[in-house]
Parts: sequence; structure tokens; C-alpha cells
Amino acid sequence: MRSSLIRSDAITIQRTGNFASAQDGILTTLMSIYLPIAEMSANVLLFLGMGCAVGFLSGLFGVGGGFLMTPLLIFSGVPSIVAVGTGAAQIVASSVSGAIAQYRRNNVDIKMGLVLLAGGLVGSVIGVQIVKILRQVGQFDLFVALSYVTFLGVIGTLMLIESLAAIQRARGGTVVSRRKPGQHNWIHGLPFKMRFHRSKLYISALPPLMIGAFVGFLAAIMGAGGGFIMVPAMIYLLRVPTNVVVGTSLFQIVFVTAATTILHSTENHGVDVVLALILIVSGVVGAQFGAAAGSRLKGEELRFLLAALVLLVSFRISWDLVVTPDELYSISTMIGAR
Amino acid sequence: MEHLIPIRLCTLILAPMLVFLIGAAGFGPLSAPKAAAQATAQEKKQEKRKQKKDRRPQPAAPASAEPPQAATPKPPPSEPAPATAAGLSAPLPREKVEADVSTRSIAVTSGFTGTEIIVFGTVDNSRQPSAEAGYYDIVVVVEGGAAPLIARRKSNVAGLWINTASAAFTSVPSYYAITSTRPLEEIADPAILEQNAIGLENVRLTPAAGAADELTAAELKDYRAAVVRIKEEEDLFLRDDYGVAFIGRSLFRSSVELPPNVPVGPLTAHVYLFREGELLSTFTTSVKLEREGIELVLYHFAMNYPLLYGIFAVVVAVGAGLLASTGFRRMPR
Repeated sequence: MRSSLIRSDAITIQRTGNFASAQDGILTTLMSIYLPIAEMSANVLLFLGMGCAVGFLSGLFGVGGGFLMTPLLIFSGVPSIVAVGTGAAQIVASSVSGAIAQYRRNNVDIKMGLVLLAGGLVGSVIGVQIVKILRQVGQFDLFVALSYVTFLGVIGTLMLIESLAAIQRARGGTVVSRRKPGQHNWIHGLPFKMRFHRSKLYISALPPLMIGAFVGFLAAIMGAGGGFIMVPAMIYLLRVPTNVVVGTSLFQIVFVTAATTILHSTENHGVDVVLALILIVSGVVGAQFGAAAGSRLKGEELRFLLAALVLLVSFRISWDLVVTPDELYSISTMIGAR
Repeated sequence: MEHLIPIRLCTLILAPMLVFLIGAAGFGPLSAPKAAAQATAQEKKQEKRKQKKDRRPQPAAPASAEPPQAATPKPPPSEPAPATAAGLSAPLPREKVEADVSTRSIAVTSGFTGTEIIVFGTVDNSRQPSAEAGYYDIVVVVEGGAAPLIARRKSNVAGLWINTASAAFTSVPSYYAITSTRPLEEIADPAILEQNAIGLENVRLTPAAGAADELTAAELKDYRAAVVRIKEEEDLFLRDDYGVAFIGRSLFRSSVELPPNVPVGPLTAHVYLFREGELLSTFTTSVKLEREGIELVLYHFAMNYPLLYGIFAVVVAVGAGLLASTGFRRMPR
């Protein structure tokens, strides 16, 4: 009796070992979907929740949310190239609704947007090629992580300091003047001046071109729209009025990330439409609520929250780089292309 | 005062994210139950191994005999039955193994969460008195298609863990599951196992021409071990020492787990029949593992027409974004 029981155990042992627990198994079966490009079975609820949360924040802060989405996707086991490519597609969707909402409120400086976009496309093409090379050398993951730590760390710190000071000033009752009319910085000395009516600016086209190119480059390597770079750059370097900044950056992001999505598909086969759709549907819903909530928040408080979030993500990524990994080895199935 | 509500909303969103971020940092509350389950499975196996040993009619003493025979790939036809039974000189018909798989073709659709296949078969001309006799040993290997792979090693450079060295392999099985009637080391000599690529340590990993020259033997060995270890962690290399069971004198069966992340492609099932360390017969059959339905369409679309696929992805994204924005147009601001 006992021995025959044990014998039949032999067959079932493996099963109980692999599927952590029975009740968990049913939920997994109901809520999972196979991602054709990422080649993994994913939990729909997890990715829906992720999309919703990131969408809310992107609507709230007027950023693409890619700088949160890509790391979250990588943490949850999506290959980093798919996370970057799919992240770009998701930002297209989340930004398009945001950009249209902003456009209706007349918050987009089209001329400025086009200059940023021209730069962005150049940056994106260069970025995607660099990703391709880095993947062949095996340093892509490191490069993504380092880029995130660097940019998020710097931007987060700057924003945190600035927003804290602004909150203090607001509490103290001091009137904050965004832009002093007679104030000039080095940017005003550059050639190729253009007049940007909506932003009430007369500045060289070079800085927006450079900013656009840089952001396009980041879009390609980080799967982020780059709003977290572009918004501060436009506010502090170009002195674009804050109400125009968000709409204009969204305008540029839509087109740059669309181009990046296509490039990642042709160069790296890194776009998973199924995953993108899950993130889009949930992200768009979240973004609408975020945008509504954002219009009721004060600018400096928004910036403080965003800064805290940015620093948190930065810290989380650097953690993995510094702490001794359990497994020193890693394997990747591709040599050259996937 | 009015803006307090969105702040509360923000913390509501931020809090679970924080938990996720910390949770993912590897303090592993998620992985704990699985580890526990594996540990108990391990214990059960060990217990079982002991029981089985006690039950065996002849202790493994003669099994390790005749090591020089190991070199021949197929058992020599001249001496069909080494005399374990009472010196029967009359030539008994040779044992042969035949097998099949429960599912010849597995569809990977959007609902694919892994599956299980049953490999079953019979030993022709079985001389086994009963299912429990332990006269024969069966090893079942299910293998995925071989693919090139790069293994990389991290080392600490200025405080950061960075990939600093690598080894390329031209062919590594994408999936390798092995089950047997008892642990492999009890079944046959390492040499025979190695020759037939039986066992996780004997999986055929062909280093690339360059890698073999650049790396020392020890380094290459470390890389091999790492590949096997990582594949094991991903559930792509599986081992079950007691996964094959005889049901009758000649009928046996085993179940093989295909995890959700099993690479899509044809699988080959090899069945090996051993007796006392001697490989008597082998049998090979195959399983098709194919994408089907929308998964297949999308995959082909992405791989063969990447430009169109990229444009398609953008159109889908823009469409979804616009649809939602019109849907929410009347939402109060």
C-alpha cells in the first residue's frame, strides 16, 4: 500500500514542485496571456495595474511615463529590448491623448514642437543604431541602467531642490516671478534666431534642436519619451512658459516615439503589440484621471512629487548595479540580431 | 483646499508602486513559497530514493562492472544477454524500446501557460518479471532545437557589476528535460551518459571556434556550468530522477513539464533503455511546438515585415489613444 502510493508520487512530484500552489495556478491560468514577441506568459492583471498607475502619473505630470514603465517592465521579467521598444509604442498612445487634450486648451507651441521634433528624429535614428551595437557587445542592459541612474538621479535631485524652494517661497508668501523680462542667459547669444509666438520667445533654433536630438536619443535607448528631460530643459534653459511646456513636449514626444517604435521594430524586433495594447488600454484610462487630478495641483507640488518618484526609480536601478549579484553569469540567446 | 484630494490620489498610486519596487529588490517574499515547495519535493525524492534502494531485488553491486565496454556507442550485438539469470545460453530475443508522446503537436496560443506531455512506451521482449522488479532502466530526454547563445560573466569594476567576459556557444538546446527510473549515476557509467548526451552535465554545448581558443578549459567549464544552472533556474533544463515508472512488465510512462517560457520550435524525445549499465536500445520521436492563431500571425508579421509591423504598432497605439481621448472628452475637468 505504502510503496504503491510512493510510486505514483514520482509522477506528481514535479508538478507540485513547479506550480507553486494550486489556488495560485487557477488564477494564473485565467489571467495570463502569451506575449508573442517577448516569448513569455504574462499576468494580465499585473501589467494592467502597471499601465494604470503609470498612466495616472503620466497624465498628472505631463510626462510620457516611459521612464517608469521601462524599468517596471524590466523588473517584471520582460527582456530589456522588448521593454524599451514596447515602452515607446505605449508612450505614443498615452501621449497622443494627452497632446490632443493640451492642443484643445491651446497649450501647444507648434513651431517650437516642430524644431524639437526635427532634432528628435535625428537623435532617435542614432540611438537605435547604438542600441543595436550595444546588444551585440552585451552591454545594453548596463547602458540602460546607467542612463537611467544618471539622468533620473540628476534631474530628480535638481527638481527636488527647486520644488522645495518653490514650496517654501509659496508658503512664505513671496511672489514668484517665472521669467524676468530683461533677463538674458548664454542661450540668447546663439545665432539662427526664431520667433516662437505661442511661447513669447525670440531665441536661437539651436538649443531646441539640441534638446530635441538628445531627447530622441534617450527615447531610443531608454524607451522613455524624455519628457522628464525636456520639460525641465524647456523651463530652465529655454524659459518657455510652464503652461506651454507640457503640451509642446507631448507634441514632440508623440512623433519621436512613433518613429522610435518603427525603428526598434525594423532594427531590433523589440515591439510586442500584445503587451503594448495591455499597457495602452490601462495607461490611457489612468492618464485621463491623472490629467484631471493634475489640473488641480499646484505646479511646485507636482514637481516635488515627480522628483521624489524619479529619485526612487533611480535608487532602485542603482541598487542592482552595486549590490553583488547572486548569479555572476548571464545568458542571451542572440548573436547579432534576435 | 481643493488640491488635497489629488494628493491623496497620488499617494494611493505611489504606495503600491513603492511596495513593488522594494519587493522586486530581491528580498524575495514572492519566491519563498516556491523555494519551500521545491525543498519539500527534494526531500520527498530523497526519501523515495532510499525506499527504492531498499526495495531493489539485486543491490547495485554488479551494475558497475565492465567499464571498458563504455566506449562503444551501441551495445555489441555479439553478446545479447550477460548472464544474470541462471546461465541461459540459448539466445533470447533482444530487448527493444518503442515509445510515443501523448501530444504530437502543441499549439502556443495567447492562452499558453505551459503544458505537460506524457512520454510512454514499451520494452519489447521484456524479461522483467513485474513492474516493480527494477530490471530495466528507462531514461527519457526531451530536447528543444539547438540555438546559438552567449554566456557573459560580470565582475566588479569600480563598484559596479559589469559584464566583462563572455563565451559564445554555437549550439545549445533551447530546452532539455530528463527523467529516468532512478538517478542517472546509478543507471550507467559517466562515459556512456556523456557519449549520448544524457544528463544535465552532459548536454551538448558546442563552444564557438573563437571561444575554445581564448578561454582556458577551466573557464569554459565554468561557463558551461553557468549556462546549465541558469537554464535550470528558468525551468528550461529539467531533471526528475524518478519521473519514469513501469506500469507493467514492459509498459512505462513519464510526464515531462513544458514551462510557459519554453522556446517555440520542434522538440525531440529520446528514450533510452538500459540494463545494468548497458545501453540496450534507443528510440526517438518528435513533438511539434508551434505558435498558432493570432500569436503566429503577429510573430511572422514582426519578424518578416518589421517596417510594416512597426507602422502597425504605431497605428494601433494612436488609434487606442485617440479612441480613449474621445471617450473621455466629456469627463469633468
